[in-house]
Amino acid sequence: MSLRSVIHTLHRPGTATEALPAPIAGNVPDAAKSLSGSLALRHVDAGSCNGCELEISSAFGPVYDVERFGVRLVASPRHADAVLVTGPVTRNMSGPLVKTVDAMPQPRLVIALGDCARDCGMFRGGYGVEGAVGEVVPVDVSIPGCPPHPEVIIQALRGLTNR
Amino acid sequence: MSDATLVVVAAAGLSAAAMGAVAPARVRVRAAALFTWAACGAAIVASLAVVSSGRPVALHTSRILPLTGVTFVLDPLGAVFVIATAAVAVAATIYWIGYASQGLSTRTAAAILPLFVTSMLLVPAAASVATFLWLWELMALTSMLLVLVDHRHSAHARSAAQWYGLMTHVGAAAILLALVMLATHAGGQSFAAIRAHAGHLSPLVRNIAFVLALVGFGSKAGMVPFHVWLPKAHPEAPSPASALMSGAMVNLGIYGIIRVADGLMGGGPSWWWLTVTALGIVSALFGALHAVTSTDLKRLLAYSTADNMGLVLIGVGASGLFAASHHLALASLAMVAALLLIVNHAAFKGSLFLAAGSVQVATGTRDLDRLGGLLRRMPVSGTIFLVGALAISGLPPLNGFVGEWLLFQSLLHGLPASNLAVDVAVPAAVSALALTGGLTAAAFVKAMGIGFLGRPRSPEAADATEVPPAMQLGAGLLAGACVVLGLAPMLVIPALTRATAVILPGVGRSLRGGVQLELTNAHGVVAPALLALSLALGVGVVVAGRRLLRRQIEVRRAEVWGCGRRLQTPRMQYTATSFAEPLQRVFDDVLRPDQDVEVSHRVESRYFVDSVAYRSTSEDALERSIYRPAVSGINWWGRQARLVQNGSVHRYLAFGLVTLVVILLVIT
Repeated sequence: MSLRSVIHTLHRPGTATEALPAPIAGNVPDAAKSLSGSLALRHVDAGSCNGCELEISSAFGPVYDVERFGVRLVASPRHADAVLVTGPVTRNMSGPLVKTVDAMPQPRLVIALGDCARDCGMFRGGYGVEGAVGEVVPVDVSIPGCPPHPEVIIQALRGLTNR
Repeated sequence: MSDATLVVVAAAGLSAAAMGAVAPARVRVRAAALFTWAACGAAIVASLAVVSSGRPVALHTSRILPLTGVTFVLDPLGAVFVIATAAVAVAATIYWIGYASQGLSTRTAAAILPLFVTSMLLVPAAASVATFLWLWELMALTSMLLVLVDHRHSAHARSAAQWYGLMTHVGAAAILLALVMLATHAGGQSFAAIRAHAGHLSPLVRNIAFVLALVGFGSKAGMVPFHVWLPKAHPEAPSPASALMSGAMVNLGIYGIIRVADGLMGGGPSWWWLTVTALGIVSALFGALHAVTSTDLKRLLAYSTADNMGLVLIGVGASGLFAASHHLALASLAMVAALLLIVNHAAFKGSLFLAAGSVQVATGTRDLDRLGGLLRRMPVSGTIFLVGALAISGLPPLNGFVGEWLLFQSLLHGLPASNLAVDVAVPAAVSALALTGGLTAAAFVKAMGIGFLGRPRSPEAADATEVPPAMQLGAGLLAGACVVLGLAPMLVIPALTRATAVILPGVGRSLRGGVQLELTNAHGVVAPALLALSLALGVGVVVAGRRLLRRQIEVRRAEVWGCGRRLQTPRMQYTATSFAEPLQRVFDDVLRPDQDVEVSHRVESRYFVDSVAYRSTSEDALERSIYRPAVSGINWWGRQARLVQNGSVHRYLAFGLVTLVVILLVIT
C-alpha cells in the first residue's frame, strides 16, 4: 500500500470499515433536532440477557465504529442526551431506570434497544419482570431485533444525529 | 512608667487566678476573665510603648525569688510575642465565658487558665536565666494541667497529658542545660551578661548550647521529630486552652530559639541555620501531610500547627543563613517574614481552634466523618472557620497570604548566592513551601467541605445549633484580626522591623509603604488592599453574570445522582477519609497508614456477605518508629530493675548479707 493510498484512505473515513448503513428517514423525535449531530448516550441494562450488550459493544467497536457519527457512551446520566435501555425492565431495575431518566437534563431521549425492551420478548409475564421499557418510562425511539444487528443500531443512531 | 505596667501585668494575672480560685461559681469565670483582660491590656500597653519607641523597659526586684531575684527586660522582640499572646488570650477568655457551661469552670481550671496566660505574657519579658526558667516551667505545668482538665471522662486526656508532660520536661531539661551552660561561662545569669560574654565563648560550648536550645525550644514549638505531643494534647485540651496553646504557646518555642541563638549568642555558623531550615522543611511537610489525612478536626489543626511552625522555622533558618553569609538586608527580610507568620498564625489558628471548639460544643464530636452541613446550622461559627481556613491556606486578601508572600520573596531573592549551603537550602525550602501550601489548602478544603458543607452525617450534626454569643465573639475577634492584618499588613510591619533590629542591629527597614507593601532592598511589591478590591469586583461580576444567566435558563431541582441506588443516606457523601485517600496513597511511604478490611459471611453460604468492616488508621510514623521503641526500651529497663527490686524482704536481706561478705572478703 503506497503512502498516497494510505492518506487517501485516512482522508475518506468509512472506506476502511463496513459499508455505511443508511439512516432511517422520518420518525425523528423533536428532542433529537437540538442535538446538532452529537449524541451522548448512557446505557442502562434493565435486565437484559447481555445479547444486546454484545451488539452495542460491537457497534462501538473498531469495525462498525459508531462514534464517527457523533455518538459516544458516557458514564453518568448527568452528561447524557439519551439513555439506551436494554432488556425487559425487571423489578429491581425499574426504580433505578426511573431515577436515571429523571437525573438527565432536558431535552432528553429514551431509546429502547432490542425486542425485550420493546415488548419484553420471551420474558413477558415472568415473575421478576415489571414490563417493557415503554411501560416504565416514555420511549422515543425503538430498535427492533433479538439482538439487533449493529447495522440496525447504527441506522437508528444516525437517524438521531443526522450524520 | 512602663516598668510599673509589668508589675500590673503580674498583679492582675495573679488576681485573676485568685478570683478563679475563690470567687463563687456563678461569677467565677467572669471575674477571672475580667482580671485576665486587665493583665492582657497592661501587657499590650507596655508592649506598644516598647515597639513604638524602640526602647526596652526593665524591671528588677530581688524580693520575689530568693538568691537570684527577678529580672525583666521587655524589648521589641519580646513585645511582638507579648502582643500576639495577649490578643489570643483576650479572645480565648471571652470565648471561655461562653464555654464555661461546657467545662473548664471548676475552681482549679478557673485558677490555672489565668496563671497560664500570665506566665505566657511574662516569658518574653524574662531577662535572666532563673526568671526565664521559672516562668517557662510555670507555663509548661499550667498548660499540662489544662490538658488534664477532662481526665475523669477521657483516658485519652490522661495519656495526652503524660506525653505532653514528658516532652515538655525533656525540652525544659535541655533548655536548662543550655542556659546554665551559657550562664556559667558568662559568670552571671542575666541575659545582658550572657550577651556581653557571647564573643568569648568557645565554639564547642556555643554549638552544644545551640543544639540543646534547639531541641528544648523545638519540642515546645512542635518541631518534627519532637512534635508527637501536639496532635495528642491539642485535641484533648478544652478549646480555649488549645487555642492558647496553639495560638500563643508554641510561638514561644520559636521565641526561645531566636532569643538564645540570635539574641544571647549573636548568631552562629551556617550549619546551625541549615539545621533549623532542614527541620523546618521536614516539620512543614510532615505536619501538612498529616493534616490532610487527619479526620479529627482538632488533630488536623494540631498537625497544621506543626506545619506552620515549620514555615516559621524556615524563615528563621533562612534569616540566619543570610546573616551568616553577610546578606544582612535579606536576613532582616526573612526574619520579618518569620515574625509576620507567627503573628498570623496566632490570629488564624486561634480562631480555627475556637471555631472547632464551637463545633465540638454544638455536636459533641470532632470526627469530621460524623459532621456536615454545619454552615447552615451555625452560620457565624462556620463563617469564622471559613475565614480562618482561607487565611491559613495563604489566599488573598487574608493575612496568611502576606506572610507567605514575604517568606517566598526573601527566599527567592537569596537564590543567586555565593554560598553552596544557601544554594542547596533555598531551592529546597522554596519547593517545600510550595508543596506545603498545596497540602494545607487540601487539608482545609477537606475540613471546611466535609465539616461545614454537604448534609449532616449524624443526628448530632443535624441537631446542631449556634453556640452562645460570647463564644462567637471570642472566635470572631481573631477572625477579624485575620482580615485586618490581611488588608493592612503595614499596621504590624514597623513593629516587626523594630523586633528584627534587636537581633540584626544596624540593618535598615526591609519594607516600606502604606497600601502597597514594597521591599526596599530588592524588587517586589504587593498591594493586599487592591488585591482584595479586585477580588471583590471579580466576585461581583461573576455573581451578577450568574443572576443574568439564571433568568434565561430554567432550573429544575432533581435528586442527587447516586447511581440509581434506592437507599441514599447522608453517610454516603464524600467523607474526610475518602477525600484524603488519593493523597494518602501517594504519600504511602511517609504516612504508613494501617488499613484492614474484614468480610464476614453468612453461615449458610460463603456467597452471602453478612457484614464488611473497614478500618483505616494513620498513626504518626515517627511516633511508631522512634518513640514506641524508646518507650518500650525504658519499660524493659524498668522490668530489669524489677528483677532486682522485687519487693521481697528476704531477697533484700540476702543482698545485705552478700554485700557484707564481699566487703569482708575485700578487706581481708
